[in-house]
Amino acid sequence: MTTSNNKDPQPIPKSILPPGDFAIWIIIYVELVTFAGLFIGYAFARRGDVELFNQSQLMLDQRSGFINTLILITSSYFLVKAIHIIKTSDNEKTSIMASRWILAAMVLGSSFIVFKTIEFSDKFEQGITLSTNTFFMFYIILTVFHFMHVLLGLIILYNVYKKTKIGGYSTKDHSGMETGASYWHLVDLLWIVLFPLIYIMR
Amino acid sequence: MRNIWIILVSLTLFAFLIGWFKLVNSFFVAILLVTTFIKAHLVSEYFMNLKSVTLNYRLIPTMWLIIVLSAIAVAYYLPVAN
Repeated sequence: MTTSNNKDPQPIPKSILPPGDFAIWIIIYVELVTFAGLFIGYAFARRGDVELFNQSQLMLDQRSGFINTLILITSSYFLVKAIHIIKTSDNEKTSIMASRWILAAMVLGSSFIVFKTIEFSDKFEQGITLSTNTFFMFYIILTVFHFMHVLLGLIILYNVYKKTKIGGYSTKDHSGMETGASYWHLVDLLWIVLFPLIYIMR
Repeated sequence: MRNIWIILVSLTLFAFLIGWFKLVNSFFVAILLVTTFIKAHLVSEYFMNLKSVTLNYRLIPTMWLIIVLSAIAVAYYLPVAN
C-alpha cells in the first residue's frame, strides 16, 4: 500500500520563514521594538501625573478610536480573503476577485486616514500641541507615527492592488501580496494595543 | 477566518463599552490587557498566518506582546510614590 492511498489527513509542514519577503519581517521587528518603547514609555510617564493623564484622556473621542479599530480589523480581514483566493484557485476571475478585496481594504484604510485627520484637526483647533502636556505629547507622537504607517501601508497596498489586477500573482507566486498584507496586519496589530492604552485605560 | 474577525470585533466593542460607560478600574484594566493580548495574538496567528510557521518566528510577536503588556501592567499596578 502506497502513501498515496492513505486517506488519513497528512499534517501540513510548517514553513521555516514567515509569509512574504523576509525583508518586511525585519522591518516589522524594528517597528515592534520602536512602538514597544513608546507604549511602555507612555505607561511609565503616566505614573508621574496620573490625574493629568486621566483628565487629558477625557478630551479624546473614544467613538473615533473604536471606529478606527473596527476599520483596521476589517481591512486586515479583507486582505486575508484576498490571499486565500489567490492561494486556492488559478483562473481568470481569481485576480479580479482578489483585487476587489484589496481595493475594499484600501477604501477602509483611506477612511481611517479621513477619521484620523478630522480627529487631529479637532485637537489642533483646540490649541493642543506636543507641548500642551506629557499625555498629549505621547498621544500626538504615537497616533501621528501610527498614521504615517497607515499611509505607507496604503501605498504598499496600492502597488499590490495594481499587480493583482493584471494577474501578477498566482497560487504558486503570491509572495509580494503576502509581503504587503503582513505590513498592513502589523499596522492593525499596533493599533489594537494603542486603542485601549491611549483611549480607554485609566 | 470569519469567526476570528467576529471575535476581534466583539472584543473591541467590549473594550469600547468599558470605556464609554466609565467602568474602568483596576479589575477592568487587567481584563483590557488580557483582551488586548487575545486580539493581537489572533491577528498574529491567523491574519499574519504565523500559526503555519516554525515556532521561533511564531513566538516573536507573542513574546513582544507579553513583554509590552506586562510592562504596562506593572506601570498601572505598581503603587505610585507620593
